[in-house]
Amino acid sequence: MIDVTSLTKVYPDASRGNFLAVDEVSFEVRSGEIFGLLGANGAGKTTVLRILSTVLAPTSGNATIAGHSVVDEPELVRRKIGFVSNNTAIYDRMTAAEMVEHFGQLHGMSKDEVVVRCDELFKQLRMEDFRNVLGAKMSTGMQQKVSIARALVHDPPVLIFDEATLGLDVMVARNLLAIIRDLRTQGKCLVFSTHIMSEVERLCDQIAIMHRGTILDRGSLIELRERHQENDFEELFFSLVSQHESDETNALIQPLADSELNPHQPTDAVARGEGMR
Amino acid sequence: MSDHQEKGHTLAASRRMRWKSIRLIYRREMIDQLRDRRTLFTIAILPILLYPLLGMVLLQISQFKREHPISLCVLGKDHLQVPTPLFNGDEFAEGIAEDSGSIEVIHYDWGTIKLGRDVTEETTRWIQEGRFDLVLVIPPEFLDESARTTQDVANLKLFYDVTSDESRIARDRVLTVLTRWQNLWVRGELAQTGVDESVLNPFRLDEVDVAPQQSKSAAFWSKMLPFIMLVWALTGAFYPAIDLVAGEKERGTLETLLCSPASRAEIVWGKLGAVATASMATALLNCGSMLVTSSMIFKQLTLGTGAAVGAPPLLPMLWLLIALVPLSLLFSAVALSAAALAKSSKEGQYYLMPLMMVTLPLVMIPMLPGTELSAGTSLIPVTGMFLLVRSLVEGDYLVAALHVPMVLGVTSLCLWLAMNWARKQFEDEAVLFGSQEPFDLRRWLALSWKQRDEVPARSISYLCGAVILVALFFAKLSGGEMPTDAGSFAKMVIVPQVTFILLPALVFAVLSSRKPTHALRLKGISWQTAGISVALGALFHPTYLLLGEAVTTLYPMNAQAEEAMRPIADQMSQLPWGLVIVLIAVTPAICEELAFRGVIFSGLLRGRKPFGAIVTTAILFGSSHGVLQQSICATVMGVVLGIVAYRTGSVLPGVLVHFTNNAMSVSLERFASSGLTGVESFLSVSETGIRYQTWWLVTSATMSVFIFWYIIRYLSVKTVPLNGDPNTGNGAGQSIASGGYPNKQAKSHFSTAE
Repeated sequence: MIDVTSLTKVYPDASRGNFLAVDEVSFEVRSGEIFGLLGANGAGKTTVLRILSTVLAPTSGNATIAGHSVVDEPELVRRKIGFVSNNTAIYDRMTAAEMVEHFGQLHGMSKDEVVVRCDELFKQLRMEDFRNVLGAKMSTGMQQKVSIARALVHDPPVLIFDEATLGLDVMVARNLLAIIRDLRTQGKCLVFSTHIMSEVERLCDQIAIMHRGTILDRGSLIELRERHQENDFEELFFSLVSQHESDETNALIQPLADSELNPHQPTDAVARGEGMR
Repeated sequence: MSDHQEKGHTLAASRRMRWKSIRLIYRREMIDQLRDRRTLFTIAILPILLYPLLGMVLLQISQFKREHPISLCVLGKDHLQVPTPLFNGDEFAEGIAEDSGSIEVIHYDWGTIKLGRDVTEETTRWIQEGRFDLVLVIPPEFLDESARTTQDVANLKLFYDVTSDESRIARDRVLTVLTRWQNLWVRGELAQTGVDESVLNPFRLDEVDVAPQQSKSAAFWSKMLPFIMLVWALTGAFYPAIDLVAGEKERGTLETLLCSPASRAEIVWGKLGAVATASMATALLNCGSMLVTSSMIFKQLTLGTGAAVGAPPLLPMLWLLIALVPLSLLFSAVALSAAALAKSSKEGQYYLMPLMMVTLPLVMIPMLPGTELSAGTSLIPVTGMFLLVRSLVEGDYLVAALHVPMVLGVTSLCLWLAMNWARKQFEDEAVLFGSQEPFDLRRWLALSWKQRDEVPARSISYLCGAVILVALFFAKLSGGEMPTDAGSFAKMVIVPQVTFILLPALVFAVLSSRKPTHALRLKGISWQTAGISVALGALFHPTYLLLGEAVTTLYPMNAQAEEAMRPIADQMSQLPWGLVIVLIAVTPAICEELAFRGVIFSGLLRGRKPFGAIVTTAILFGSSHGVLQQSICATVMGVVLGIVAYRTGSVLPGVLVHFTNNAMSVSLERFASSGLTGVESFLSVSETGIRYQTWWLVTSATMSVFIFWYIIRYLSVKTVPLNGDPNTGNGAGQSIASGGYPNKQAKSHFSTAE
C-alpha cells in the first residue's frame, strides 16, 4: 500500500546552510498494518510524513501510496490518505460537524453523503455531544477526535498519524490508540510516528527507528529484539542511536586527522558534513 | 479503458481547476471571517460608527470656530489717537466687529508692563500661560502720525501662538476686524481730502462659476471617494489576509488543508475570493457610511472656497464600484502573498505595513493638484484606475475611453503578476514550512563566508544592489554644486561611479566569492563578439533615443528639473570630446556593468530562471538613475544588457554595448555640427533637438534585432541548470563551454581578466 524508496529531503536554510532532514529512507507498509516511525525530536519523522502526505516534495527518491506516486500524482495521493497532525489543527470558529463536512465535500462527497458519513463517524468516535460546539470551545480530547473524524471522513485506505498523541492526557491518548487499533482491524494501512517507546511497543506491527534523517533499523518488535539481543526496547533504541552517533563522529574526525597528515587533502567535505547536520 | 488510461484521465481531471473546491474554500473562509469579531469590527462596525463620529467632531469644530469667544488683550489703547476709532469704550466700534463672533476685549494700560520689562517677553508669557488667545500691542510711537508709516517701532503688533488652535482662530477673526478698521480709516481719509473712494476699486469683477452644482459636487467627491474607497479596500484586505494565511500557519490548519485534494491554485483562489470580499465590503461600507453621514453634515458646512458641497451624484459613483473589483482583487492578491511570508499573525503585520507604505503613494498621486488622466498616468498601477474613475465620475467620457485600454492593460498585468506571486507562495515549501528559527545575522555571515562559492549567493547580490542604491540616494541628497569647469564635472561623474557603484561591487565580489573574477563575470571574449557588441550599441542607439523621447512625452520633465540639468549639458558641450567620452561613456560602462551585470547578476542567476535575474538586475540598474525618465529608459536598456550578458556569459560585451550607447549619446551634437559629409543623411537637426533620420531609425532597429538574434543564436554559451544550493561546486549559470569562450577557434582574447 505504501512503498517508500530512497526518500531524501534537503532543506535550504539561510543561516544554517543546507540541512539534510531525511537521508535515503526506504520502507514499505501493507494494508492492515501499523507502521511505527520512532525517533527523537528532529529525527526527520515529520518530514517523511509530510512527503507522504504530499505537503512537501522530496529532494530525491519517491514514494507510492495506493499505487500513486507522491512526486507525479500528488492530487491522487491526497484522495487516498487521511492525515492527523501533532497539532490538532482545528478551526476555532467552526463547529465539529461543519469541519468534518467541509473536508468531506473537499474530497468530492455530496452533501447527503457527507451528512450520513458524519453521523456514522460521530457515533463511532462518540462525538455526538459536541457536534455543534465551536473548535475554540472544545477540550484537547474533543479536538483530537474531530481531527481524526476529519481524516476519516472520505474513508481513505491510508492513514498517517504524526505524533498524534503529543500533548494528550493519558485517557485521551489511550482512546486514540484504541481507535488506531480499530482502524487496523478494518484493513487500513497506518503510519504512526512518535517518540514514545511504549506506544510503539503496544501498537506497531513494523517499527523503523529514525535518527538524524536515517533509518537505523527496522522490522517487527520481535525481529528488532532478536537482532540486537536486547529485550528492553528503550535500551535497544539508545544503543542504536549511540552507535550511530559514535560512527558519525568517527566519520567526521577521520578526514580531519587525514587532512592534518596530508596538507593537500581538502577539508571542504568536513565543513560540509557539519553543515548537513 | 486500460488502468493506465483511467489513471491518466483521473489525473487530468484532478489537475483541472475545480470550482467546487474553490467555492468550498471560499465559503469556509467567509464563515470563519464572519464569525471573527476583529474582522467584523473592521468591516462593519468601524465604518458605521466612524463617520457619524467624525461628522460630529467636524460639526463641533466648526461650531467652535464660529462661536468660541476669544480673548483679546489690547495693550496701549490710549495710543490710539486716530481719526477712525477702533474702539467705542471697551468694545470694538460699531460696524467694525460685525459677524466676527464674540470677541472679549481686555484693555491693559501701557503702564501695566513693569518698568524695565520687555513688552514682547511679557505678552509672549501671557499667551503661553493661556491668559489670552492673542495680544494687540499699540506702542507709544503710534501716537506720532508721521512715524506710523515710516518707523517700525510704531507698528501695531499682534501676538499669537501658531501651535494653539484657539490662538490661530482668534488671529483670523481679529485680522478681519483690523482690516475692516483699516478700510474705514482709508475711506475717511479719502473723504476728507475730497477724493472719491472709487479710486480704491477702479473696476468691479464678477466671478462666474459655470460648473453646474452637480459637477461641483462631483469634482469634490470624485477625488475624495476613490481615495477613501481605495484606502479602505487596502486596509480591508490586510487583516483577513493575515488571518487566512499567517494565522492558519500559526494554528497548523494550513497543513491539513494542503493534505486535502484541493490544489494549491484552488486554495489560493478560494482564499483570494474571501479576502477580496472582505476588502470590497470594507470599502463599500465605509463609502456608504461616509456618503450618508456627509450628505447630512455638508449641508450645514461650507468648505474652503465657500461653495457648498452637496450630496455626491450617486449614479456616476457606480463607476467606482466597477473599478473596485479589480483593485480589491489586486490588493488582496498582494496582501495574501505578503502574508504568506509570515509565520504568525504578528509577523504578518510587520510584512503588511511596508506594503501599505508602498501602495499608499499610488492612491495619493491622484490627489495631487493638477494630476489628470494622461498616457503617462494611465500606465501607473492603481493611480491610472483612480484617475480613470475620476474622469468617468466627472463625465469626461472621451478622455476616459481613450485611456481605458492602457488602464485595463496595466491593471490586468498587475493582477496577473500578483496572482502568480500568491500561487507561487503557496507552492514554495520554504514559505509554507520555513525555518521557525529566528534569523541569526552572525551565523549567516559566518556561513556565507565559509560556504562562499565562485559566485555570490542571491541574498548577497540583493544586498549589494541595496547598498549601491542607498549610497547613491544619500550621495544625491547630500548633493554637490553644479559643475562649472572640467575638474568639477569630472568629480561629479567619477566620484559616485567609483565610490558608490564600483567600490561596493568590488568589495562584495572579493568578500562573497572564492573567485572574484567569476563573481564579476570577467571572461575573455573574442574580437568578433567585441565587434558585434559595439555594433549593437551603435545600432540600438536610435531606438533608445526614440524610447527616451516617448518616455519624456509620456512623463514630461518639469521645468525645474530641466533647468537643474542645464549646467551639466553646457559643460558636456564645452569640454573636449575625448574627456566627455571618458567620463560619460567609459566610466559608467565599466563601473555600472561590473556592478549590475557583474556581481549582482551573477548572484541573481543562482536558483532562478534567467528571466527573473535579467529583469531584477534591470530594475535595480534603472533605479540607480536618479531621474524617473532616465530610470525607465535605463531599465529597458538593462534588459538588453542583461540578455547580452547572460547569452555571452561575460560582462565585457555589456560594457561595450553600454560604452557605445553612451558615447553615441554624447557625440550626436558634435557629429551634427561637424560638417562631415553624409552626416545629414543620418541626423536631422531641428529646434527641438537632434534626431535620427526615419530611414536610419528603421534600418538600425532592424539591424539591431538581427544582431540581437545573432547573439542569442550563435554567441550563446551553454549554461548549467541553475540552482540555489550554495554547496554546488561550479557557479550556477556559469559558462561551461570551452572555458567560457564563444567558440573554440576564437582564442584572441579581448581581455586578460581571466
